[in-house]
Amino acid sequence: MRFLRCVHAEFLLVSPRLTRTRLGISLLALGATLVWLSARGFDALTVTLQAGALGAILGAAAIVGNEEDRAALTTALTHPTTPLAVATGRWLAIVLPASVLTMACTTALGWHPGVALAGVMTAAAVGSCAMAVVLPLGSSAALALFLFMAVAGTVAPERLIDLARPGVLRLTAASAMELGPALWHYRDIVTGDLGAIIHAGAWNGLGILIASAFIARRHR
Amino acid sequence: MTEYALTLSDVTGRGLGPASLALLPGEIAGLVGPAGAGKTTLLRVAAGASRPRTGEVRVWGMRVTNPAARQLVGYASDNPAFPRALTVQEVLMYYARLHGAVSNERAPRGLVREALEIAGLTAAAELRVEGLGRADLHRLSLAQAAMGGRRVLLLDETLSGLDAFARRDLRSRIARLAAEGVAVLITSRDPAALERLAARVLVMREGRIVRAGPLATLLGERVLEVILDAPPPEPPPGFRITEAGLEAPLAGRTVEAALALCRAHRLPVRASRVRVKSLEEIVLETHDRHKEDLHA
Repeated sequence: MRFLRCVHAEFLLVSPRLTRTRLGISLLALGATLVWLSARGFDALTVTLQAGALGAILGAAAIVGNEEDRAALTTALTHPTTPLAVATGRWLAIVLPASVLTMACTTALGWHPGVALAGVMTAAAVGSCAMAVVLPLGSSAALALFLFMAVAGTVAPERLIDLARPGVLRLTAASAMELGPALWHYRDIVTGDLGAIIHAGAWNGLGILIASAFIARRHR
Repeated sequence: MTEYALTLSDVTGRGLGPASLALLPGEIAGLVGPAGAGKTTLLRVAAGASRPRTGEVRVWGMRVTNPAARQLVGYASDNPAFPRALTVQEVLMYYARLHGAVSNERAPRGLVREALEIAGLTAAAELRVEGLGRADLHRLSLAQAAMGGRRVLLLDETLSGLDAFARRDLRSRIARLAAEGVAVLITSRDPAALERLAARVLVMREGRIVRAGPLATLLGERVLEVILDAPPPEPPPGFRITEAGLEAPLAGRTVEAALALCRAHRLPVRASRVRVKSLEEIVLETHDRHKEDLHA
């Protein structure tokens, strides 16, 4: 119960950020752009997954990307909370706006519960990964992740076979795309693919654990 | 048996110590020394934020690693950082909710109101953190540290870099908390900032406490300044040469005896006066003496 209350306290920090920082307007712009792209050939599933993934990265940049926010974590831990509660609360704060954006995009393009679920699960997995990356590296890492996810996020590792000769570089890139949260993988959530659901679920837990370890280390 | 609010016993690690200290409830102790002396490290160890390699920290008899002990200790960092987009009230509400998660005794709103009053931030409650000046940031840092009836406050450079008015106001607020029984350990790289606050002063250098004592005793050291018509070739025993002449601490001797010594050395004394040493002088002297001892 105490853990959940601490998570709730973290999560409540999201609404002032939505209205007072660039987060709210950035999410609106992202949603509008994706809906516009859907009218020019993007399918509804791609748009929904991109809304979840890119929205979560924007959220990570706004909620844990600022140096002041990261420095404030140290002060938070002098109060009765734990690094895991802080990380879980921040993850929720990142995922919720991205999930709302995903739902809004799905509704705009014709509601489909499977597509909406895939979008929310993508937002959760990518948000968790983004938090684990942005917490130690800052907003610049969020930008790199955003560009990667927007451009290469939908590319399946198999397609690399045609792009490069066999070698360490190709193997590394293919492994990263296979293991990291990727939209090509999460498309299969719509069809109930267990592998894709477990992949997304594993990233949720892993990202939160990595982030909480970083918060604890920073405090020490 | 005396019950201490905070005890550090032979703590070492991260360039610290061994360092020991004990703080009584309601006591204000000042930790002074140059930058890099280990003041912040000592405070972080006392707050349980850094683990010492050896030794132990106890808060009201409990190990600082005990969650119940951690709840009694408030820490204000030397570089206060809070989410910029939030207002003062929202920042404090966030911390109050964390306290409320542990105990249902106090509602978060009540804790926020109390913290705002403690730090004198009631008028600034609706201001955003990004618009706060240095003094208000330090007040906010004090407010979060004192929140929830903390019994030990560890304040890192809370009075540094402030104007005289803000410093006086914060000093009186800290003194008020101490009067209610809160033990305060406050650091400052500017000893003058603590002269009117701390009852006891601990001087740190290279991770060790090299001098400690009640402020009244330290400041009670009197110095005889002697103005000479011409600079002396060599100072008499116990004196040191200054720009205007000589000076010497009056430890255990009378002014007459000290002046007689000058005359015996045929020094052209024009005037003399007795003054009290400032805390800054005491800290600098301790620092220099420790440096000489190390060289020797």
